[in-house]
Parts: sequence; C-alpha cells; structure tokens
Amino acid sequence: MSETYNIEKVKERISHIEDILASVAAGDMDARVNSETEDDLSGIEAAIDLLIDDLTDELKQREKMQKEVEDKLIKIQEQQKTIFQQQADLMELSSPVSKVWDNTLILPVIGTLDSQRTQIMMENLLEKIVETGCTISILDITGVPTVDTQVANHLLKTVTSARLLGAECIISGISPAIAQTIVHLGIDLSSIRTKATLQDAMIYAMKQNKLSENVKLQTLFTNPDENED
Amino acid sequence: MNTELHEKRIPIIKIGNFLIVSIQVDMHDKLAIQLQSQILEEIEKTGAKGVLIDISVLEMVDSFIGRMLSGMASMASIMDAAVVIVGMQPAVAITLVELGLEMPGVDTALNMEKGMEMLERRIKDEDYKLY
Repeated sequence: MSETYNIEKVKERISHIEDILASVAAGDMDARVNSETEDDLSGIEAAIDLLIDDLTDELKQREKMQKEVEDKLIKIQEQQKTIFQQQADLMELSSPVSKVWDNTLILPVIGTLDSQRTQIMMENLLEKIVETGCTISILDITGVPTVDTQVANHLLKTVTSARLLGAECIISGISPAIAQTIVHLGIDLSSIRTKATLQDAMIYAMKQNKLSENVKLQTLFTNPDENED
Repeated sequence: MNTELHEKRIPIIKIGNFLIVSIQVDMHDKLAIQLQSQILEEIEKTGAKGVLIDISVLEMVDSFIGRMLSGMASMASIMDAAVVIVGMQPAVAITLVELGLEMPGVDTALNMEKGMEMLERRIKDEDYKLY
C-alpha cells in the first residue's frame, strides 16, 4: 500500500520536475524544483536546480556579450560613415579649380594621384571651364611625387577633353621623376603644352590673352563698319 | 519616313561669311548623314568661309556622330571652309576621348562668340598671308 503511495508520490514529483523543465525551456529562468524532502530523488532535483542556475548565468553572460558586440558594431558603422564622408570631402578638397586671372583657370594638384582622383579632377575642371568660359587652364602638378601609366593617360585625356570643349590646357611643374617616368613609359606628351613652373605657365597664359585681345582690337580697328553695329 | 526626316531638318543660317548650324534635336545616324551633305551643299552654294556647329544642347554623342563631325571638318576644309565645333558639353568631351575620337583636325570653341572670333581671326590671317 505504502509502495503504491510512494510510486504515486514519485510520479507526482517527476511530473513537477517535468513542469519546471518545461517552464525553463519556455524562458522562465526563475523556476526551481525546490524539493523539501530528503531522499534519492531529491539529489536529482537539486542537480537540476543547479543546472538551471548555471544555464541562467550562461544566458545572462551571452546576452551581455551580444549587447557589447552590437554596441561595437554600431560604433564601427558610425566610424565607417565618418571615413566615407571624409573621403568624399577629401576628394572635393583635393581638386580645387579657381579662376586666377582673366580667362585663366588654375588646378593645383597636391599628393599622389590615382585614377579615381584624376577622373574627378577632370570632371571638375571641364565643368568649371564651361561655367566660367575661360579658354586657358593650367594643370599644376608640382606637388605630385609620382605618376603611373594610368594617371598619365588620364592627364592626357583631361587635356584632350579640354581641347574638345574649346579650351587650352597647360601642364606645369613636371618634376624630373615624373618626366623620367613618362618618357620611360613611352607616353607622348609632345602634343601638350608643358611649362617648367607655374610662373611660366601664368606668363604664357597672359601672353596668350594679350594676343587674342590684340587680334580683337585689330578686328575692331580694321572693320569700323562692324564696330558700329 | 521621308516626311518625318524632312520635318526634322536642321536649319543652316548664313551670316556674313559664315554658316551657323545649331543642332537642337537628338541626332540619329540618318539625320547626321543628311546634315553633312546639307552643310556641304550650302558651303558650295554660298561660298561660306567658315561653319560654326553648335552642339551645346547635345547631351550624348556616339562614335558615329563623332566621326561624322570630324569627317565634316576635313571635307569642309577641302572646300576651303573652316569648321568650328562650339559649346561641347564636358560629358560629351569625356565620352569622345574615351571612345578614342580625339578629333585632331577639328577646331573647337567654348561658345558661339568665341567660335566666331576664332573664324574671323583665321580668315584675317589667311588674307594677311595673301597680300
């Protein structure tokens, strides 16, 4: 009689353990078996309680770590955003085209050139030529340490595109190293007007302006009829 | 088809010694060929010394149109007329250079006014050489 009672009791306790495990599995980490009696089964019950404790700790730690990782990720994303922004700013800052004299634009280039940068420079310069209507532009590469084939090609393309728009593009400040590279690479710069220094380029531009102005004056002088119109 | 092309004829205006062609519509190949012969006929008829082709409205120039333009410059120069291409857009210039069409023999100007000056100067120079 007592045995059957015991079995009933044991069944009850086992089902209690099952319930507790089920609620733990469902996410309730506060559930414990908490057995009051002292027998063989209570050892298992205590062990299960201990396991649940450990599991709770593990889960808490994992959550903490996950949060940390997420925070770090957000931080990194923000940093990346800043880097992209700065890169864009640098690109804009790195190719300032300014009008320095009547009819004369200047584009000083400082630092190493890569394809992307030369591309942006080229676009900026052409846009500015159309915007200001300047017919002479000076590309000053005094501050450029080295060029490679691609960059030299881009420079050539810039000069040719400027010519197609109807403007002349002068390259000034070619350093000995760049001159050597260009000749070694077999790039023909003979069709492009190059000047030793920015000063020489400016003098050339001014002379060129004076020349076209003189021609304009001559035209006015020799065609008084057109002048009256 | 013919009438359609006829409607889209690009006007060629004669001012003084020059012909002015302002391309205001998107060029397609047939129109380009038509324009080429039209301009050459007009040069013959009027004895113009210069042709100004304004392409400032053209957003896109393909290799065919590019070749047509540079071809026209050499054809006109054989007929003793200088061709100046006026107002090319930066994007078009970049495209042409990327396509390898650098148009070595063609004169270009930023705008109509500068193109006109250029032609006047050129004619003056030639007159000067003659006398």
